[in-house]
Amino acid sequence: MKVKLVRLLALMAALALVAGACGGESDTPSTPETVVVTSIVTETETVTEVVTETVTEVVTETVEVEMVNPLAGTTVTVFGPESSDAEAGSHQAALDIFAAQNDMTIQYTGERSFSDLINAQAAGGNPPDIAVFPQPGKIADFAREGWLLPIPDDVIATMEANIGAAWNAFGNVDGVQYAIPTKADLKSLVWYRPADFAANGYEVPGTWADLKALTLQMIDDGNVPWCVGIESGGATGWAFTDWVEDLTLRYEGADFYDEWVAHTIPFNTPEMNAIWTEILELWNTPGAVYAEGGTIASTFFGDNGRPLVEGDCMMHRQASFFSAFFPDGTGFGPDGVDVFYFPSVSGDRPVLGAGTLVAAFRDAPEVWAVMEYYASPEYADNRQRFQNLSKGGGAVLSGFLSPNLNADLGLYQPLEQSFLDILFTAEVVRFDGSDLMPAAVGAGTFWSEATSAVNGDKTVDEATQAIEASWP
Amino acid sequence: MVGVVSVAVNLLMALGMAGGAGLWIDRTGRPSRTRRVIAVVVGVALGALTWWGITSVDKLETTATGVVVSILASGLIFIAANKLFDLAPDRWAVFTTLVGAAGSFAVFAMLWGNRGIDDPALRTVVATAIGGVAGYLLGTVERSGQRLAIGIGAGGVLGALAASGMRNVGLKFTVEQREFVVWPILPYIDYGVLAGAILVGAVLGLLLWQARGRRNPLARSLLLGGTIGFFFGGWLLPSLGSATKTDAFVAAVGVGVGIGAYLGLKPIPDHSARGRIEVSARAYIFLVPALGFIASTLIIPTLRTLFLSFHDARGQEYVGFVNYGDVFGSPNIFNVDGWAGIFGSKLFWVGAVLLLIGVGVSVLMGRQSGYRISFSPGSGGLAALGALLALFAVFAALRGTVFNNLWWVVTVTVISTTAGLAIAVLADRSKGESVAKSLIFMPMAISFVGAGVIWRFMYLARDVSKPQTGVINTFWVGLGNLSLSRGPGFWIAALLSLALAALLVRLAIRAWRVGERGVGAGAAVCALPLVWFAYALWRGVGGFEVRDNGDVVASTIQFAQQAPFNNVWLMLVLIWIQTGFTMVIFSAAIKAVPSDLIEAARVDGASEAQAFWRVIIPQIAPTIGVVITTLIVLVMKVFDIVKVMTNGNFGTQVIANEMWQRAFTELNFGLGSALAVVLFIAVLPILYVNIRRMQKAAS
Repeated sequence: MKVKLVRLLALMAALALVAGACGGESDTPSTPETVVVTSIVTETETVTEVVTETVTEVVTETVEVEMVNPLAGTTVTVFGPESSDAEAGSHQAALDIFAAQNDMTIQYTGERSFSDLINAQAAGGNPPDIAVFPQPGKIADFAREGWLLPIPDDVIATMEANIGAAWNAFGNVDGVQYAIPTKADLKSLVWYRPADFAANGYEVPGTWADLKALTLQMIDDGNVPWCVGIESGGATGWAFTDWVEDLTLRYEGADFYDEWVAHTIPFNTPEMNAIWTEILELWNTPGAVYAEGGTIASTFFGDNGRPLVEGDCMMHRQASFFSAFFPDGTGFGPDGVDVFYFPSVSGDRPVLGAGTLVAAFRDAPEVWAVMEYYASPEYADNRQRFQNLSKGGGAVLSGFLSPNLNADLGLYQPLEQSFLDILFTAEVVRFDGSDLMPAAVGAGTFWSEATSAVNGDKTVDEATQAIEASWP
Repeated sequence: MVGVVSVAVNLLMALGMAGGAGLWIDRTGRPSRTRRVIAVVVGVALGALTWWGITSVDKLETTATGVVVSILASGLIFIAANKLFDLAPDRWAVFTTLVGAAGSFAVFAMLWGNRGIDDPALRTVVATAIGGVAGYLLGTVERSGQRLAIGIGAGGVLGALAASGMRNVGLKFTVEQREFVVWPILPYIDYGVLAGAILVGAVLGLLLWQARGRRNPLARSLLLGGTIGFFFGGWLLPSLGSATKTDAFVAAVGVGVGIGAYLGLKPIPDHSARGRIEVSARAYIFLVPALGFIASTLIIPTLRTLFLSFHDARGQEYVGFVNYGDVFGSPNIFNVDGWAGIFGSKLFWVGAVLLLIGVGVSVLMGRQSGYRISFSPGSGGLAALGALLALFAVFAALRGTVFNNLWWVVTVTVISTTAGLAIAVLADRSKGESVAKSLIFMPMAISFVGAGVIWRFMYLARDVSKPQTGVINTFWVGLGNLSLSRGPGFWIAALLSLALAALLVRLAIRAWRVGERGVGAGAAVCALPLVWFAYALWRGVGGFEVRDNGDVVASTIQFAQQAPFNNVWLMLVLIWIQTGFTMVIFSAAIKAVPSDLIEAARVDGASEAQAFWRVIIPQIAPTIGVVITTLIVLVMKVFDIVKVMTNGNFGTQVIANEMWQRAFTELNFGLGSALAVVLFIAVLPILYVNIRRMQKAAS
């Protein structure tokens, strides 16, 4: 009987504990969340190692203040698309400085598939405290769903003191400010080598007509004017959309551009078709394009750096971040690779930009404190300092530009300063249109139909009509 | 804190499992010392492993330990369940006690795990105790009135216990300083629906009672059906989340009382009935995990997809067949505008003529041998080739995702099957068979993504001003250079091909004289392309292009970009992978054909071709059917190759990739689900045929 009892108890314990496994294991949340949790932990660890020196320095400075910080002991989570070591690392490092000053914890998590994941997180009711959005279109969607919180007035005051109104407008949805710009990319740029231009007696073109004339002259001289490639895996076609957006700003003006992006003008108006045709005619001029991959549609966009440096082509139109795609050891400036402003049609100087903005999901003092830090020149400078260091330090292009007007320009290289100059002085700055459009178009048909048109599978008319039809 | 608690719970769990299993493994009685040691060691190891997995921040470690612990736990649960049912015949009260305790524990643990109840540990312990006591009483008390009271009482108390702890607000909890919110689970009951569900359940119970010959008491069947109806009406049909506590009590207590009353109405089974319970339980122990797995990973997601396909992009508003209309209304997915182009294409007419010739010759040959139609390898091959070419022309004219998928299915299935069969037959009992077959089988070991990457390099092209690095374009441009050069290389290539052609012609003449007409014709046909090649080389062949001003520049083939035949180049990748598979299967089937059958045919005067078509093919027909259906289903789902090589650009989109892009990039779950359903429905008939075939083979 005793044996029986033992067995009985043992079996009961076994069953009880087996069933308890369900309960015990689900103490950690379901899989995608676990991934977030663990990666936060690992990233903080690695980054802290990198920045220990700077952080301790700052801490000793602030300890002397000797006051009870209301933020002490709090935690703020940030989730964003910047996932490379340089970007995510310097982002976290810049946040760690603020965290150390306030005795709090800020965890940045970077994921390349941010766009998909943030949808699931927000819809599932467990978003991060702050998200870094590369697409204002998504901020508008989220704000209208009621997921994002309006920014309080004192934070807006800091933002307006530091960042220009043109950039702040990207975070404004229906008259309410939801997001703060934290990073800027300048897209209206043409990369070239001044030495090649000088050797052939070419002038940097001042207007779009000059640029077209220069293109023809180069062909006549036996040079290949352009490097073009629009292949980019799942995002193939986006490089063409940048050309379309830039020329729309130039030919039709900012008001038309805004209406086109907001779809109050159909996508396939004659004006848009004319712009598509203009670009494709330029690209399809015999001898106008060097395509590393055989055709424009099969050339990886990043593969245009080496041919430009080696003289296979004379010009390449691409954003400021393209500095990272040139071969190692490429010099920048008048002696190496330089940029000129993608010329305008009528003499105005509209600028196409892109970038990231931060928006908050949780209403808490520590969250707004971090948001305010994002709006401050301190964040901009710390981020640039770390990102420059992570690329090797010194005279390298960090790939980061801040939209903050009060950022320390001394931290940037001359070429980067010229980018910032264009961004800050331009009267008309517009955000990359495809980032503003609904995902079905901006990350879908605009890319795929553009690829079809560039590859000659569809006429311009067919392609723009298909995009128009796909607008949700 | 949560971490510490879960570590403790898991440690205990592991120890308990191992201990329980170790003691119970011994059927005979006293567990030996060795068994105890093993049990303790296993328990400690499991506990340590669990500890390591939980405390680790490494994703890989967490996953690995999770997998190991789950597998071991599943195995131990399985053993324990078997041991439990061993008790049924002889120790009924112990059995019912354990079942009662384990059942209540399982329900509460699931609620605990899904954060359905507050204060889960206490509630689970209490529920386990109540379940155990109720089980013991139901296993011993014999008077029916008392049994009913016990059942209703225990079921009601357990239901109330669960309902009292259920949460009606979103629950926040923190893990690793990260806050999570869980949706509430309380139901909002529509009492009309609840009553309807109970009624439907009761009617079903009545019908079942009727169907089973009215063996059981009517009340029990009604109660069982009604309780199941109650469960559906109370928990599955109402919208969870906008709840009141009253509704939760009604839903939980109702189900609890129903189950309790049902059990209470049953008398204690006699010994033979217990024996039957024990025997039938074995089947369930095996079946339930598998069925549960299939339900949770296959059936429920399928129903959910079907549901989503009738809703808008966010899965909220019912939109009827709009998504299906979009699937077949989008020119990128379903485009028949170019149908007239079929009759304008040379390819179509070449295919049609070849098909006619092939069929015509076969009919003529059929007259000779007395059949209505008789395919020889030559005429059958010609007809198949013609049909395939004509279909190519059709698919090149009808564009869109759906037609691309059909094109894939036709081409890959036909070519892989034919090539696999041909290789299997030709290699059979020949020298170097195993080496050849191994080489052809090798691509099977490469993943689709890997193959896509490899063939991207094969098809790669560079700007024509640079040396080509893609394998095929290197040869193509090189051939152009050779053809234009008129240098020594040109002459060597031209003379070599002419010499080979001459040899073949000589062979043909000899064979013809000897009477081997087939070999003669074959050799003559093979000589033709060689002569043509020499001629083409002279005229200029390969990757070059003469500009208007007389300049000659290199010219590459954009295999993946030039629509519509880039689809065929993509299909080649899958054919390359799958031919090895079909070859191996056919080879095995051919070797299984009894040799006396073939010998008998030979004795009767059958030629080699006749033996193949009339003996071997009918013998391996079932295998061919299996291979074709397997291939069709596989090709229908093709995704990786297209994703890697073109991502659906350049007119190469297929349904699976289209579905992925609609659902996950554009977050249009309605359209994505509709595409999934279309694919599912398209695969169904083939699966049906396959299953019917298997059933036939079994019977």
